[in-house]
Amino acid sequence: MLEAIGRLGSATSTAASAGKASAGCARTFLLLSLVTPAVIAADSSPSPDGVAWLKKMAAASRQLNYSGTFVYHHAGRSETSRIVHYVNSAGGEFEKMETLDGPAREIIRTNDQVTCYLPESRTILIEKRGKRRFPALLPEQLGGVSDNYAVRLLGSDRVADFDCQVIDLKPRDKLRYGHRFCAERNTGLPLRARTFSEKNEPLESFAFTELRIGGRFDRDRVRSRYATKSRDWRVDHSAFSIADMPAETGWVLTRQPTGFRKLTEMKRSFAGRSFKVSHIVYSDGLAAVSVFIEPLPKARIARSLSHQGAVNIYIRPVSDYMVTVLGEAPAATVMQIANSLEFRGAQPR
Amino acid sequence: MDKISALMDGELDDLQAQQQLGRISQDRTIREAWEAFHLIGDAMRGERALSSRFSSLLAERMMREPTVLAPRPRVARRLTSFALSAAASIAAVAAVGWIAFFNSPPALQTELAKAPVAPLPAPAPSAQLASVPNDGKMSEYLIAHQEFSPSTAIQGVAPYIRSVSSTQPVAAGQ
Repeated sequence: MLEAIGRLGSATSTAASAGKASAGCARTFLLLSLVTPAVIAADSSPSPDGVAWLKKMAAASRQLNYSGTFVYHHAGRSETSRIVHYVNSAGGEFEKMETLDGPAREIIRTNDQVTCYLPESRTILIEKRGKRRFPALLPEQLGGVSDNYAVRLLGSDRVADFDCQVIDLKPRDKLRYGHRFCAERNTGLPLRARTFSEKNEPLESFAFTELRIGGRFDRDRVRSRYATKSRDWRVDHSAFSIADMPAETGWVLTRQPTGFRKLTEMKRSFAGRSFKVSHIVYSDGLAAVSVFIEPLPKARIARSLSHQGAVNIYIRPVSDYMVTVLGEAPAATVMQIANSLEFRGAQPR
Repeated sequence: MDKISALMDGELDDLQAQQQLGRISQDRTIREAWEAFHLIGDAMRGERALSSRFSSLLAERMMREPTVLAPRPRVARRLTSFALSAAASIAAVAAVGWIAFFNSPPALQTELAKAPVAPLPAPAPSAQLASVPNDGKMSEYLIAHQEFSPSTAIQGVAPYIRSVSSTQPVAAGQ
């Protein structure tokens, strides 16, 4: 069924891209639109359609060829990036994102690896996942969305010169944030995604300002410009294998926040460390929170709370361990998860 | 406090040990905690002859707070665990509580022993910890997290920009 959507999307987009390609100039991102979303008609539909649109967005992101410029807006700052996504004839997926503002940074994502090039610090971060992709994870990941959010279709909007459908997800409690997506009407490709705080203030926004859907696969456009220059850079490896999931880490939550289920659990190699790090992921269908547990470093650490857009990060020591909890959820939720972690395993850690 | 207990456990190198011993001589609160740690350790090892009343008060206290004073194989570890059970705040309260107990006159000690044992305060609630902007040191954690986040499933690579977001402040006039 996903393949059918993909083919339909490609057929429509080839016709549409001829006209859209000429729209070349970048659009200014309107800050006002963050505060007063321009929604034309409040035409609410029952939730099953809303969840279907979420799946359609996910399928389009994975299956279509597209390229464009998008703006990441958070905490009163904007960062513009160029993005390219291709699928080759064998179904292999390639994505590249490069920042256009501030220090140059590139992220390349392929079937089995995410590579992050940081020229300013001459560093490469590599995250390797097992050979197989995660088609099965998606339905699991979206499970529970309707329980935790009131999902509504809210009429039409226009983003990057494309008509799109607005999908609103209102949180049913204070443990999660609100979300609003704009999905391109024909293909379902997400054109704008926003996260709102408990006070309905925008925390984070991703929006295309210029976009081309369709086009032929071109491997060169998803290669890093630093591929040869980075031979002597520092490289940090993280890796996990699907065969290693799930694995018991021995850590449990004594007070799991309502609506969050454990998505996966593993012991994995991480950031070049010599020991394995426990990584547990909880999700409510739309937001996820990761827990990382590792031995305390030599330097003493204190509790700390920080944020990055819609992501809250909480670090605390727990006996001989350092616990890092982060995710797209309010600080109180992230802290509740961190504070209710307990080791119940029988094995020596 | 954990540096002090590390000093006791012989875990510091010479330079660090010198620094911590300096702290002990300069800071009265730390010195009292140091003395309390030694007193407790000696008592647990049976090396110090204490009054029978103290022993029974200690036994009574241990019965009321079994999770804090649960016996462990190594005495040094037991001491560290006692002092640092969950959070530094608990350690501070425990140390101060024991010091107050030892330093008070016998009559008052009886009173203290009779007083109901208040539960140790829970770690500070979230409202008291202010959130600061990410300083750019969490990239690997964010990348590892993004792999499983539904935001990635729905939007593709775009949310990965959180992992490498520029931490430079916006200069005036830009």
